[in-house]
Amino acid sequence: MAFDYTVDFDPENPDLTSDAEVANEIFLQVFNSGDGELFNRLYLDDSISNFSGEPLSGAARLAFFKEFLSSKPTLKAKITFSYVAGDVALMGVDYSIQGTAPDGSPTLLQGVCTDVLRRQKDGRWLMAIDRPVAAKGLVAE
Amino acid sequence: MSQITDDLEKRTELYVETFNSGDAEALEDFYTPEAIAVWEPGKPLTGQARRDYTREFLSRGPRISTELRQSFVTGDTALLIVDWVIDTVDETGAPERMQGIGVDVLRLCEDNVWRYAVDEPYGQED
Repeated sequence: MAFDYTVDFDPENPDLTSDAEVANEIFLQVFNSGDGELFNRLYLDDSISNFSGEPLSGAARLAFFKEFLSSKPTLKAKITFSYVAGDVALMGVDYSIQGTAPDGSPTLLQGVCTDVLRRQKDGRWLMAIDRPVAAKGLVAE
Repeated sequence: MSQITDDLEKRTELYVETFNSGDAEALEDFYTPEAIAVWEPGKPLTGQARRDYTREFLSRGPRISTELRQSFVTGDTALLIVDWVIDTVDETGAPERMQGIGVDVLRLCEDNVWRYAVDEPYGQED
């Protein structure tokens, strides 16, 4: 099923932009679509994601995103700061992820995340590094 | 990748040395032309304002020491989480100790040198 984006977003040619609010909205909507392969396109091949609790890039990152998003967890995030310095951006967010444990019970993961974005030669902005720090991890309600 | 990490570690050591020498001009080469530094929380500085701030700050003869907590390094972008302590003096000349957990973003420039793009000394609360 196609996902309806409320932001201007081309899945074939993703661009998070350097506008933190736009980037956050795209990031949230793609995450919440549950499509790990699509979510992975917001990253460069050598980008590092720490969502799994360890730094992953390339094929390992893609495999994790597919697995992680398959149960359709819901991400909420709010920008806390954003600095754009030429072709590099640093953004901070407060986030929460509501998910489901294998036994069906609800899980909640929340904390702060630091994101580094890079502008590519073609002008598109993509994730280079994410670093979530959970304040409260996988607590069953 | 380990070569890159080595380069970054040497770069950080050299930054500390240069900072402690008080040479504001030399310290400039550690930053990209568009770099942002946030020495006062919520007040990002760039360009001439950032350079002026650095010059003023270094004129008091501060000494910095750093310890790397974490590093994430891609081909051309690095995120470093760094514990730092600076011993300096305040406006009246009285000793002042500042410390924080910095969140630094460096990028590999065309001359193959890593430079700070974002210097956020208070980027993380403990």
